[in-house]
Amino acid sequence: MSTAPRTVIITGGSRGLGAGIVQSFLDSGDRVASCSRSETDQTRKWAEEFPDRFFFMEADIADRPQCTAFVKEVLARWKSVDILVNNAGVARDGIHALFSDEDTDTVIDLNLKATFHISKQIVRNMLAHGGGSIVNISSITGLTGYRGLAVYGASKAGLDGFTRALAREVGSRKITVNSIASGYLRTEMSHGLDEDQLNQIVRRTPAGRLGEPDDIARAVQFLVDEKNNWITGQTIVIDGGLTC
Amino acid sequence: MTENEASIIKLIEELLERMDKAEGVTVTLDARLHGEDGLGLDSLDTAELSATLEDELGSDPFAEGLMPETVAEIVAFYDAKESVSA
Repeated sequence: MSTAPRTVIITGGSRGLGAGIVQSFLDSGDRVASCSRSETDQTRKWAEEFPDRFFFMEADIADRPQCTAFVKEVLARWKSVDILVNNAGVARDGIHALFSDEDTDTVIDLNLKATFHISKQIVRNMLAHGGGSIVNISSITGLTGYRGLAVYGASKAGLDGFTRALAREVGSRKITVNSIASGYLRTEMSHGLDEDQLNQIVRRTPAGRLGEPDDIARAVQFLVDEKNNWITGQTIVIDGGLTC
Repeated sequence: MTENEASIIKLIEELLERMDKAEGVTVTLDARLHGEDGLGLDSLDTAELSATLEDELGSDPFAEGLMPETVAEIVAFYDAKESVSA
């Protein structure tokens, strides 16, 4: 257990993987701020249960003014941020030759541009306050490619590149930046894959199952542990061995 | 020395201390932020200065697209803000 509560921002924490990561940091005694476009039963429950150390705001972080307002609100409450988990993401699937420009914009605006924007604001806070950790939630589709997920895969590969460059920029200021290339999870939005595709993935996965949010949350906890601050600029694959 | 001058010089002195760049350096209004004949800030140091100014004073010249070259130019940014709001 950590000695003092850390302040953690987790984007897109209202459901699925993001909610699993929020739960993990609430369990470890930390202060958690999260945002999504709309609240859920889960976020309302946390707000009641942890009024002093859970903050949720409805915000679409692909909209820069909304994202900035969210960050300002968190800093007004807790002054500084120790950990940023860039989890918010969206998938649109479809053969690229038929892919709509609107879907391309939706994926790039959230998965990349929103991540760049919030990371800039939080890195500035971390520079002024002596360090921190950033974890970008990426995907194995950014490493291997997956039919029908060209733009999504490109956005995740972009996130991995961003991770490496930012890690080099801020390493000397006690800020680590890593990404987790997640395999396929059993969450309500397993990125546009149908049941046959998911069954095929399970058959090809050495661990013989889909991932759970906690499989990823534990890796996030490991990467942001101060004792592990020699790990930076890396993309850690957590996928039950699918890509090995 | 005005209040703005004193507080910004103090903020920069503390920043240089934190960066281990304070030795043999005197922060004056005329001091250039960059280069060996100045305070020797590199681009990341400048980002840290920008973030610290925003954190302490609520705004900062770099984030507003200005590129002050000297301590005095930073002070002038806050003086101008005050005269607008006064």
